[in-house]
Amino acid sequence: MKLFSRGCESRQAAYLVGADRLGARERIALEAHAASCTECADALRNSRPVEVALRGAFAPLRERRTMIAPGRVRLAVGPRSVAATNPWLRAPRFFGRLAEVSVMVGVTLFAVGTSLDSMTRQAPSTTTTHSVVRDYFRAQPPPGEIDYVRWLSLLKVDASSTASDPVGGGFDYDPVEFAKGPGAPR
Amino acid sequence: MKLDARRDPAVGDSRTDHDLVYAARDGDTIAFDALFYRYRDGIFRLGLAITKDPSAAEEIVVDTFARAHRALARLEPDASLRPWLYRVAVNLSYNRRPRKGLVLSSLDDAVDEALANEDGSPSHVAERAELRRLVLGAVDELGPKHRLVVVLHYLNGLNLTEIAEVVDCPVGTVKSRLHYALRRLRTHLAAHPELGIEPSRPLIATGPRAPKRVTAPVPLEAE
Repeated sequence: MKLFSRGCESRQAAYLVGADRLGARERIALEAHAASCTECADALRNSRPVEVALRGAFAPLRERRTMIAPGRVRLAVGPRSVAATNPWLRAPRFFGRLAEVSVMVGVTLFAVGTSLDSMTRQAPSTTTTHSVVRDYFRAQPPPGEIDYVRWLSLLKVDASSTASDPVGGGFDYDPVEFAKGPGAPR
Repeated sequence: MKLDARRDPAVGDSRTDHDLVYAARDGDTIAFDALFYRYRDGIFRLGLAITKDPSAAEEIVVDTFARAHRALARLEPDASLRPWLYRVAVNLSYNRRPRKGLVLSSLDDAVDEALANEDGSPSHVAERAELRRLVLGAVDELGPKHRLVVVLHYLNGLNLTEIAEVVDCPVGTVKSRLHYALRRLRTHLAAHPELGIEPSRPLIATGPRAPKRVTAPVPLEAE
């Protein structure tokens, strides 16, 4: 079975008359209301002994003191550096930190920039024109001995290797046409 | 040589919280010590009322002021310092409370040391101790939110606006909680006539709630 109350709205104010320091006018208005409202009159009458009982019960606890010294707080906080209190003494640390951050940002930008640059350079390299100079240098024999031998075996038999020097102002055999290598002049 | 009372924090500093916070920010340790001595006992009592353990309450005092020391630059000296400190202390106290399942000592155990020094005849002291035990037992039976409001007001002497700042809710909510707590306490304490509290009157009720009449006929399923 549920009951729903029809409590007076001023009952809370009547209970809190001690806690909620009412002004003289409000207090008079509340007492005038309580004269005609049994509920508020009951609350006004009984809030006082409850408050007295509470204040009396808490009185010994209110007298309790502690002997802690502020040194314990300083120990808990730890040593406080002088630089923490003076902002000017923090300036070198700030600038050091600023330099660190700027170097970090610079290196990052450099790394990102170069990677993007290489990507943009690789794209047109597929369409580069034929380089005569590069072909010439490719045709040159490698300086290493083993590489040179390999290189020779890879080369076609060149006519220049079979030709000998001209003797007596003429050729001792029918001159053959020079095999034109990829780097040979036209 | 006459000792300057203003420089001795244990005696009491005449400066306001506002001035002391500004001075402590500039590294004046005496100003911080003055704040410590000003609020040390109140925070200790609050911690003691919540944790019911004096050593835990002392640790709460130290931790609260350590936090205040670290937050000196962020503290708003124009706002009242007291609710800020109490708020930190309440949070620390509830963090230190033992978890559920452990038996907490009653609030009146915390006042036993103070009772030992009470004056009067033994029977009178015993009677007062019994009444105190009754009231504090009733306070212990309140819920944590209502108990906190009661402790902050009747033990620490905070007004309703300050309590609202401490518990971070509107003043109306604080009033409502305190009203509820006082009504509950009155109901509990009315059983003891020596306290002079009348039992609360039964609420005027409109009677049992009538069942709702179903206006529309319930359609029956087709057979």
